[in-house]
Amino acid sequence: MEQSLRPVVDETRGIYRVPRRAFVDPGVFERECRAIFDKCWLYLGHASELPNPGDYVTRKVAGRPMLFTRDKDDQYHALINVCPHRGAVVCRERKGSSPAFQCMYHGWVFANTGRLMVVPGHAGYPADYKDDPGKQLSHAPRFDRFGDFFFVSFAADGEDLATYLAGAGDYLKLVSEQSSKGMTIVGGTQEYSIRGNWKLLAENSVDGYHAASTHSTYLEYLKNANGSTHDTRLAGFGHDLGNGHAVIEYFAPWGRPIANWIPLWGEEGKREIEAIQQDLTARLGQERAERIAKQSRNMIIFPNLVINDVMAITVRTFWPTAPDYMEVNAWALAPAEESEWLRKFRLFNFTEFLGPGGFATPDDVEAIEKCQTGYQAAREAQYNDISRGMLREGGSAYDDELQMRCFWNEWDRRIQEHGA
Amino acid sequence: MTREAEIDAMLLQHRVQSFLFHEADLLDRWQLNEWEALFADEASYLVPPTDVDGDFADPSKSLFYIFDDRTRIHERVVRLEKKGAHSEFPRSKTRHLVSNVRASADGDTIEATASFAVWRSKDGNTDIFVGHYAYKLVEIDGALRIAEKKCVLDMDALRPHARISILL
Repeated sequence: MEQSLRPVVDETRGIYRVPRRAFVDPGVFERECRAIFDKCWLYLGHASELPNPGDYVTRKVAGRPMLFTRDKDDQYHALINVCPHRGAVVCRERKGSSPAFQCMYHGWVFANTGRLMVVPGHAGYPADYKDDPGKQLSHAPRFDRFGDFFFVSFAADGEDLATYLAGAGDYLKLVSEQSSKGMTIVGGTQEYSIRGNWKLLAENSVDGYHAASTHSTYLEYLKNANGSTHDTRLAGFGHDLGNGHAVIEYFAPWGRPIANWIPLWGEEGKREIEAIQQDLTARLGQERAERIAKQSRNMIIFPNLVINDVMAITVRTFWPTAPDYMEVNAWALAPAEESEWLRKFRLFNFTEFLGPGGFATPDDVEAIEKCQTGYQAAREAQYNDISRGMLREGGSAYDDELQMRCFWNEWDRRIQEHGA
Repeated sequence: MTREAEIDAMLLQHRVQSFLFHEADLLDRWQLNEWEALFADEASYLVPPTDVDGDFADPSKSLFYIFDDRTRIHERVVRLEKKGAHSEFPRSKTRHLVSNVRASADGDTIEATASFAVWRSKDGNTDIFVGHYAYKLVEIDGALRIAEKKCVLDMDALRPHARISILL
């Protein structure tokens, strides 16, 4: 008999086990595409990527080629970047500024609103052909923004974005509020792949338990680089944000370019950091300013958006193309008004931990790929255990596994709702 | 070019090429402390991302893959010598091929460029990094030393693999 796909859960006895089949089975991957990626709100991009009217970026969202534009009236559009005529990708550049896009195949031209403008040899078509709704660039069925974060959904129906984001919305605000002028995506994208199932990165991104072991060399490096004067211990809590979203919020030994100074930044840096903290306090009040400045946050927004506000802020998406392979995109987000000095330290901080060349991410990749290899024995060694902290009283610790359970509860609900 | 200038250029070319081949050999033999000793006291090791013009991008303005100052170069070597650098324990096999070397002297600094292909093999996967190096070299006590090593990846993205956990 085929092994069940459902997590084995017993709240009273503190049991939560996830069948490893969910990471390797091609049929499960197909079901995820339909039940999750065709339905959920998915991250498209950030407003700062289109700073001027006419700007655009192209990228894949759940495999679909997308064209994200801002028109001359400052309206944003999430267009399916596919010619309605014969299906070629229309805009083939990564980003730029243009009022219109011409398909290279037969030369059809579309406005950045999606409207069909020119059909070469139009005499071969009826007079009103260009106005046919089916001949315009398609829009994502649903498209909405939460602050400067833009999302699409490929399902025509469903809950609105703010409802979907639930408790994650306030944590997005904790990021947006770091600037009075707006946050901006810094140029340069880390685009890499991991030979593992996408859910492994969802888990890893909010896993406080693995730091001491997986990232021992990074923590040792921090001690060397920052000196023993900055010896904050990792400590904090995990929170269920609803709808599969979760966060860990905690104190950590690294510097944060949003008002958590470390000795490496010197006395001049200290003055600048203090000014930032004063501004935060004036705008947001003591408590919230203190929380933004001093605490780190790792958040997963179901299914595949991670915003980690740690030693820098990374916005990360990861898209499966097979059960054992995902494409990761990671950006750095920063206050637009940040000084050149601090921006440099932010990027220096980012690369110390994060990304394929950092002192930590390669070891996460190793862990993920070794899990994927281990799951080849999913029929014999069947379950992962993510029960840590289930019976703990007084709230979930940052290094418990509540975050993973939130993710898997939602995964299970959606897979079951969709059916086989 | 006079014959004398031509000979100077040949000697410089030979010297820089030998230096780069020596560096590649140290990396492939994982002689990381010796590799680190090739750097000047003020130095950087940079790997730009693939969606910007890596020849001109500035690591203090764009997000890079690697943005190491001299201290972090040292810490990178310290880390890679530990068992806890899991991505490279056990160590992968690497092979650096360095070619198309060009060098020119500009005052005290020697600028050199070269093409590279680096193979990394581990756990049944062999991955390739392709790109070009841009070096700034200086002479210290009669020996060449690296003031800046920039590895520009001539790749669409860092795919199908992720790890610049080896040294390029």
